[in-house]
Amino acid sequence: MVDRASQLRSSSSWVAGMAFTSPWLLGLVALFAWPFAASLYWSFCTFDIINPPRFVGVENYQRLAAEIASGRGAGKALMNTVYYALLSVPLSVVLGVLLAVVLSAQVRGQAFFRTIIFLPSVIPVVASSVLWIWMLDPDGGLMNLILGWFGVPPQNWLNQARPAVSIEGVAQIGGWLTGGPLLLMGSKDALVLMTLWGVGNFVVIYLAAISDIPATLYEAADIDGASGVRKLLHVTVPMLSPVIFFNLVMGLIRSVQTFTSIYVLSAGTGQPGESLMTVSLRLFTSAFADFEMGYASAIAWVMFVGLMFCTVLLFRTSKSWVHYRQ
Amino acid sequence: MKIISRKFVFSGGWVLGCAVVVFFLFQSYRHADRSDAAAAKGREEVVFWHFWGGEDRTIVDGIVDRFNDSQHQYFVRAIAMPGNNLQAKLFLAVAGGDPPDIVNQDDPVLADWAKRGVIQPLKNVAAAAEVDQVKQSLLAPARRLSVVDGALFAVCNGLDIRTLLYNQTAIDAAGLAVPQTIAQLDAIAEHFWPSVTDGPPPRLHSPVGYLPDSRRLWAWGPAFGADFYDPQTKQCKLDSAPVLAALKWMVGYSRRYGADNLASFGQGDQSLPGQTFPLLPVDDDAVVGRYVVIMDGQWRVRDVAAFQKRRADLGLPEVKFGACPLPVPTGGSEFNGRDANGQPQPQPQSQSQSPGRKDAGWVNGNFFVVPTGAKCPRGAWEFAKFWIGQSAFSDAESAADGYAQGGWIPVTREVAESATYRQYVTENPLMETFVRLASSPHQYPIPVVVGAALLKRAVENMTYDAMIKNNADDTDDKAIAALLKQRSAEVIRRLKVMQELTF
Repeated sequence: MVDRASQLRSSSSWVAGMAFTSPWLLGLVALFAWPFAASLYWSFCTFDIINPPRFVGVENYQRLAAEIASGRGAGKALMNTVYYALLSVPLSVVLGVLLAVVLSAQVRGQAFFRTIIFLPSVIPVVASSVLWIWMLDPDGGLMNLILGWFGVPPQNWLNQARPAVSIEGVAQIGGWLTGGPLLLMGSKDALVLMTLWGVGNFVVIYLAAISDIPATLYEAADIDGASGVRKLLHVTVPMLSPVIFFNLVMGLIRSVQTFTSIYVLSAGTGQPGESLMTVSLRLFTSAFADFEMGYASAIAWVMFVGLMFCTVLLFRTSKSWVHYRQ
Repeated sequence: MKIISRKFVFSGGWVLGCAVVVFFLFQSYRHADRSDAAAAKGREEVVFWHFWGGEDRTIVDGIVDRFNDSQHQYFVRAIAMPGNNLQAKLFLAVAGGDPPDIVNQDDPVLADWAKRGVIQPLKNVAAAAEVDQVKQSLLAPARRLSVVDGALFAVCNGLDIRTLLYNQTAIDAAGLAVPQTIAQLDAIAEHFWPSVTDGPPPRLHSPVGYLPDSRRLWAWGPAFGADFYDPQTKQCKLDSAPVLAALKWMVGYSRRYGADNLASFGQGDQSLPGQTFPLLPVDDDAVVGRYVVIMDGQWRVRDVAAFQKRRADLGLPEVKFGACPLPVPTGGSEFNGRDANGQPQPQPQSQSQSPGRKDAGWVNGNFFVVPTGAKCPRGAWEFAKFWIGQSAFSDAESAADGYAQGGWIPVTREVAESATYRQYVTENPLMETFVRLASSPHQYPIPVVVGAALLKRAVENMTYDAMIKNNADDTDDKAIAALLKQRSAEVIRRLKVMQELTF
């Protein structure tokens, strides 16, 4: 009798538990699990929303592989995304840490400076992107005006496909040093600049982590006669490494998923010269402009697997450079 | 402990806030109720999706009101949608079984929509004779924009024509001719910004005579004699001698003035604050703007008129503007840079173009379509006919009213020649060239084929690569031909796959 009563109690608590979690579970199944599975199936189909999906095997993946191999279409999008991620993520980390270190100094107006740095993060992406289009206008934009004060020639920014970090970019610098024009910064560099402007989110996390570093470590370093730079490199950065690692992973995922700003900057076209055609925009145009849902699903899956691979790789390498406090 | 104090609950600000919310809710309810009541007078509702905003939206609402007042059977409810992703919304609405009755669009999507079954052929909506009558009434470019494989799937209701708009005052002062040939256009470009004979071209500044836009091979191709589509074989033709000639000519500008200059000195984002139509001088004491000649559409006539009115109001001297069809190559006389002594060099005879095609160019336009599953397709058809002046409820004169108000180009000869529209053209003489070109048989849209949007992007990307990305200074003619051949083969192959998958 006791066992039966216990069974009943346990079964009714299971039902109650399920009833309470069912809204979330329903959401999970309808909005996550089902689309996840459907997109995997669609990636092997040709599908345009209107007509039923038609199974075409690995054709979408073959097309994707061919485009990546030729460097055109999705291949071009992948190269653009890699360029953006490789530049924006490390620069965000470096700038974020440096700003956090500076902002953690006990100076007058500390709260004001922290607010200034964080403010861009609360501006809606669409609004800030439109603002940046204005500021980066090659003909009369604020950015070129500021560069002009320092003797730097006006840049083409969003009108130029060629990126700064490239062989042609190096050639530009060489030519400039010998009296030629300097047109270095292109559309992808403008995008990186915009990302760095919104680094305040990361800074807040670094600031919290810095305040958590035991003062005794700095005192010990002072007794050992360590300079400010040494304390930064041998105390602050190692103690921040778990947070840096977190921001690195999140920054990588965010950089690959960046869409809104690119959509606004290029009016959804990825122009000029497809220089802003990133993987996420390519996915979007394939799905909602060309109605190739199958191909878009294949892009999404390759993007997902690629991100998983990079994240796992980061986790593996983290053992050698991330220091967790014992 | 009281979480909310009595003082707070009854504070004046709180009560005022509630009153404001209630006021707005009441106002919006009143507004909604009014339009609902209008539709409920036993009429069939026609849901109309469009993307017009600003001044145009008022004119569109006026046409809708006139249609609703003209008869008692249908009531059109206009819904302004954001232009971006209208296509995605329509697909989802059709798939979900609740599409609008009529949609207006201007992207090159007609064949895709038709072949995928998103829209219905108009012979399903009205009698064959009636459909044929409307089809025959359309001007040739409008018909091209409305037909898929010979069947009328859309009713084009306005044409977008590109001409060369020019600053007559500046051209006259320079002693140059209005460009009728490519050589004359090149001469204008050279006069206002002579190309350098050696060294990198300096950064351009105003005024520039003319610079081609990499998106406009669609316009220059027909002017050089190209057909991008063969209606007999139903195939796109990109890799042809006239297209190559047009492309080489455009790349020639990159060579002379520098690819980076072309990139940076493009038309710019005219939606930015302080930016104006680059043909118009910004300063009151200037008579030349950013360009002396520029390719653009009829919507600029409004900008020019507003500019001239402002100058007249300020008592400033008049600046004259004109519009002309795209000039054509005459064969062998085109400018090809300067020699070491600074003397102009013509194209080598071996590379000269065949004579081009007059009054040719790229046409685009707005068109009405009736989605599959529309609940009131007949009402949609009547509204489309009303708009273009082919309805029993309207005549050419009343339809011309809307076209004149919007500065739009009519799609039928009757409306274009109506007294109301002629009056508008007389008051806005720049429109004359646009209206004349609208009846030219040589105005071609982007081919109405499955994958047209992809085709458009591919051609524009290829032209950009040829003109700007591949650093035109180093790009020889063979490389341009190879690029055209390669990209053409790629896109044609992709279009074939898309067509096979769509069927």
